Amino acid sequence: MIAVRFRRGAPRPEAPCIVALAEGAAPPRALASALAAARFTGAAGQVLDLPGTPRRLVVGLGTAPDAPACERAGAAAVLAAGATEEVALSGAGLGAAQVAALAAGIALGAWSFDTHRTRDVPRRIRRLVVHADDPDAAEAAFAVVAPGIAGCLLARDLVAEPANHLTTRRFAERLEALAAEGIEVTIHGRKWLERHGFGALLAVGGGAADPPRLAVLRWRGALPMLPVAFVGKGMVFDTGGISIKPAAGMEAMRADMAGAAACAGAMLALARRKSPSPAVAVLAIAENATGAASYRPGDVIRTASRRTVEVIDTDAEGRLVLADALHHAIAAFRPRAVVDLATLTGSIVTALGHHRAGIFGSDAALMASAAAAGEAVGEPLWPMPIGETHREVLRSDIADLRQCAPAGSGAWGGRFLPDACHAAAFLREFVGATPWAHLDIAGVDTAEEAHALGPAGPTGFGARLLDRLVALRFETEP
Amino acid sequence: MPDIAFVKPALPRSGALVLPLAEEATLAGLAKQADEATGGAISRGLEAAKFKGRKGQATTLWAPGAGLSKVVAIGLGKPADLAETGAEAAGGTMFAAIAQEREAVVAADGLAPALAASMAMGVVLKSYRFDRYRTTEKEEDKPKTERVALAVSDTTKAKAAFAPLQAVADGVFLTRDLVSEPPNVLTPADCAERCKALTKLGVEVEILGPKEMKKLGFGALLGVAQGSAQEARMVVMKWNGAPKAKKGKPLAFIGKGVTFDTGGISIKPAGGMEDMKWDMAGAGTVIGLMAALAGRKAKADVVGLVGLVENMPSANAQRPGDVVTSASGQTIEVINTDAEGRLVLADVIHYCIEKFDPRFMVDLATLTGAIIIALGHEHAGLFSNDDTLASRIEAAGRATGETAWRMPLGEAYDKQIKSDIADMKNVGGRPGGSITAAQFIQRFVQGKPWAHLDIAGTAWSSKDTATTPKGATAYGVRMLDRLVAEHYEG
Repeated sequence: MIAVRFRRGAPRPEAPCIVALAEGAAPPRALASALAAARFTGAAGQVLDLPGTPRRLVVGLGTAPDAPACERAGAAAVLAAGATEEVALSGAGLGAAQVAALAAGIALGAWSFDTHRTRDVPRRIRRLVVHADDPDAAEAAFAVVAPGIAGCLLARDLVAEPANHLTTRRFAERLEALAAEGIEVTIHGRKWLERHGFGALLAVGGGAADPPRLAVLRWRGALPMLPVAFVGKGMVFDTGGISIKPAAGMEAMRADMAGAAACAGAMLALARRKSPSPAVAVLAIAENATGAASYRPGDVIRTASRRTVEVIDTDAEGRLVLADALHHAIAAFRPRAVVDLATLTGSIVTALGHHRAGIFGSDAALMASAAAAGEAVGEPLWPMPIGETHREVLRSDIADLRQCAPAGSGAWGGRFLPDACHAAAFLREFVGATPWAHLDIAGVDTAEEAHALGPAGPTGFGARLLDRLVALRFETEP
Repeated sequence: MPDIAFVKPALPRSGALVLPLAEEATLAGLAKQADEATGGAISRGLEAAKFKGRKGQATTLWAPGAGLSKVVAIGLGKPADLAETGAEAAGGTMFAAIAQEREAVVAADGLAPALAASMAMGVVLKSYRFDRYRTTEKEEDKPKTERVALAVSDTTKAKAAFAPLQAVADGVFLTRDLVSEPPNVLTPADCAERCKALTKLGVEVEILGPKEMKKLGFGALLGVAQGSAQEARMVVMKWNGAPKAKKGKPLAFIGKGVTFDTGGISIKPAGGMEDMKWDMAGAGTVIGLMAALAGRKAKADVVGLVGLVENMPSANAQRPGDVVTSASGQTIEVINTDAEGRLVLADVIHYCIEKFDPRFMVDLATLTGAIIIALGHEHAGLFSNDDTLASRIEAAGRATGETAWRMPLGEAYDKQIKSDIADMKNVGGRPGGSITAAQFIQRFVQGKPWAHLDIAGTAWSSKDTATTPKGATAYGVRMLDRLVAEHYEG
């Protein structure tokens, strides 16, 4: 994350200065004529680049300049800033919370990933200097939101990393580094998984040269309560396995661990802001490779819950590893609630596109809180159903459950299957009575173009949402 | 459909007797009489068959005595949970068990009259068959049931409760017929002709052909129709049921009626294309709904409009890349000729607003495969710019077992249908495919209260359900009839 400092007084002339204006608000006198000439109204998303000393980037906050609007404006401004090492933010006339949200947006928008560039590395923003009427208040307000930003950017960093760099082992090592933040990290390897019967995770990871891992991150918190649990799908790469995917677009499958990355980001956020709520994240890490030891369509596997599953399509692997991870999260930690995140189905992309993730679940209050948290941090959700027929298709001729409906068994010549609903119905079987929500984030983990809170690439969707969910719902005793 | 009668409780001397029984209930009333008349054969038989009265459970006892050919026990589940849809489902299960009997008596004397009427509705709904084109079916394979008599404590009340349901069932059957008809029979002109039958119920029916529609500037609808040898039609149906003192803006229902959809130049794959005969189910539903409302003399002013076309590839067919001008004046770049339903709806909706300035509009369309990928077959997709209307539709759906699931709309989705050359394009890509279709329609509703039901997953069922034989479901007729009854009459 960029360094953020808070000062009184006017910005230095060398660095471009971001000036935010609400729609209809009177502009600073020095800018009034330029803004009028450029027809700048302060509408949300509007950015006007005014060269000069200092160069000014004027950004519109719209008519309701709340925290999400300020975050979006900060990101839009910094995305327009281009190659520069430092930016300033003028907080004159704005409240501390607004200044903090603008700074948060700037930090999100300034994220970049240049690890693997060796030449012509673009100049990137490294510093933000905030000039506020009351710098201490602004700094204090920023300290509240900064942990969420750090969590989101950790998730983006992990998702951006290619699969030959972020192997299952490397992913586990990256998570182990979170111990420095006060998070207890346990990594369970193949032997432990075999001993404890994690047949689904072992089957999915069996075809790869790098073995699967189950990572458990714990934040003890302060409240004497059972933890809230996050469960993440961490497929470092997904070829589809024997049911191999078409070549076009397969490179995007390095992001198939975005659910696990978001959970890890949320844990970092909780630790950084010393959340009183105990929390645990259980991350199923594997590579779904096509290999001589790969599992096959038709295989029957025994999950950690002892329940057997008939494999229909090795490319529907996410629900299998989640079954084991959900079981472990619930059996080992008896959580107050469990929320899983996964880039699970193409079906959810057809259903909701790239603007909302799907939320399924068994607990209306938990789902409503998650949706509210999502709205607050610009990560919107939409509720989706699990119906009786979605469960019926999971009946197997040979095992307790089958993993999905066979390709070609849908309507209109077999082409149309509600796979996102089927997957959610499958996961529900491993949850029992624990309040549970499932977020299918397959449409929102990566943005093809610059988005409201960042550049093209991984969005970190979910990390801030989970952090906010905990703040909204789990930091008081019930 | 079999005749339904409500009679005083009396043991039949022959034929079938049906006993709807709640969980753990003891035999009472007519059921008890029958048990006594058969010397306890019924209670012994049910115990031997482990009949517990669970929901959906059905047990048949053959020739238990007292002249009865059989006794059928139908489980109703827990008495406290028994509601309208449960009684209907029991009626459907019952019909399946007595289909080979000419007459049956149902011991419904323990049920409230309204529930007995619902049970009768279930019998009727399940009795639907579309056998017009079967010429060699064996006599013994055909259902025989001519009359089902429900023995109730209060025949007057039960009859009164059933009368409107009978009208709704007639509407459902009309819709199922229209949707089941093959596409070489049910052309746009044929479908429009059939709407005329509604005049007998007091519905005003007006039919517009290509000439009239051309004059109205229906460039979007006519663009779809131009590849077919079959002429397009629009049918406007008016039911003026509101009492004089309560006249106001009418309610409007609008249906997509593509009597066959090949996809046009953007032709569909061959597998499953025969299903596309039911791409007029939105229109079929609106027609059946109008019949239901008029049949039960609904106290509301309602208009039903259907756009009827056939989408064919031919030398004259519309091409991807064509730009058409809709009746609203907005231009549309046609990217995919298989996204034709929204083009038809655009013009019909615009006409509806200009002509009737309705209180609200609900459109129904088998619009997208994407809604099946999103929701499957249990719920239709519901899109709306009006939360009150949407929640009323959801509630009416739950009450009638025709459920809808709300889906999102929003500016971000609307951006996906921006065109480089026209005001909009007719597809927005795979992501959120049903949502962008709804966004397209929303561009024609002029901000009026509106709801869109994407019924591609619910108009047709590949298997039997409790009250619907496989095939056309007439999804929406009962839901929207209930919507009108609950909120817009009186």
